[in-house]
Amino acid sequence: MASSGAVPFWRAAGMTYITYSNICANLVRNCLKEPHKTEALSREKVHFALAKWSDGKPEKATIRSDTPDI
Amino acid sequence: MAMAAALRREGKRLAPLMSSQPPINTTLRSSLISPLDQSSIGGARSISTQIVRNRMKSVKNIQKITKAMKMVAASKLRAVQTRAENSRGLWQPLTALLGDATSVDVKKNVVITVSSDKGLCGGINSTSVKISRTLSKLNSGPDKETKYVILGEKAKAQLIRDSKKDIALSLTEIQKNPLNYTQVSVLADDILKNVEYDALRIVFNRFQSVVQFLPTVSTILSPEIVEREAEAGGSLGELDSYEIEGGDTKSEILQNLTEFQFSCVMFNAVLENACSEQGARMSAMDSSSRNAGDMLDRLTLTYNRTRQASITTELIEIISGASALTG
Repeated sequence: MASSGAVPFWRAAGMTYITYSNICANLVRNCLKEPHKTEALSREKVHFALAKWSDGKPEKATIRSDTPDI
Repeated sequence: MAMAAALRREGKRLAPLMSSQPPINTTLRSSLISPLDQSSIGGARSISTQIVRNRMKSVKNIQKITKAMKMVAASKLRAVQTRAENSRGLWQPLTALLGDATSVDVKKNVVITVSSDKGLCGGINSTSVKISRTLSKLNSGPDKETKYVILGEKAKAQLIRDSKKDIALSLTEIQKNPLNYTQVSVLADDILKNVEYDALRIVFNRFQSVVQFLPTVSTILSPEIVEREAEAGGSLGELDSYEIEGGDTKSEILQNLTEFQFSCVMFNAVLENACSEQGARMSAMDSSSRNAGDMLDRLTLTYNRTRQASITTELIEIISGASALTG
């Protein structure tokens, strides 16, 4: 096992625990059989628009989406 | 809310036109009266039936729309409510472990305001914004700063007016797909990566019942602050009594736990706020429909009065004409 003091590989790669658990959840969802698989994968869709603000002005929003906009 | 206010304004505008005015004021008021109005012999002004009929038609259409919106909101509420109640079980164990220390004194506060993208949902967004503002005032002081992270268009519109400099991030279009944990956790991840924080305070409306929404603040501390508070004793001091399995150190576990706690609390907050939004929209649309119904009653009375007055005037003219011929 990892010796105390060494970070787990995903933390060293810059991922947070949230990203790590999401990837694991995605792997588990892909193990399902149809039709439950499509049902579960539909619960994974992500879509939002994020705008960083600097000095009172918003920069252009980056849209993070699984379904690219038409 | 906006529709109900518009309906009330319409009613007030009709009232002065319906009361009888002394002849002195007729020249002043003539510019305000539309050409279809008639003035009867006694100097009393009456409004034309056609105008009243048009108003009745538009008010009836508005009433139909608000009734439909209420039913749509009710069905959406049913769908989200079970999910919100089930999501409460996610964060309760984590908060039981790590505490929800609202009164913690930290340097870098980040206030996350959860609001809706769409309007016509009553006052819930205003209460969230009001609480966010008081939180940032409470936490102001020398070398203490508060930043806002805004979810939803409505809070953004309100906070832009006076707190533009304090906004760190704004996120919109969250409800395009049905809310799921993956989306909220990606959101939470982005917040964690972009904002430096000592304490995260999430402001949202907790759903108590269809007519009651409680504005709530949930606090998540960063791992360093958790360690500091644990050393200071209090509820977090018990953390040392837990045994740690595996090869992780305590600070690593704390880091994982706080991140996961943030993600779970965000998930619950977003779901509860969505429930509150639908519930508030239901009650707002319900009161709009009721106001529209009241207005329709008043307009019907005016219409009948006007109709009868015009019939009476015609009869008087006929009879006086006939008596002028015979007498």
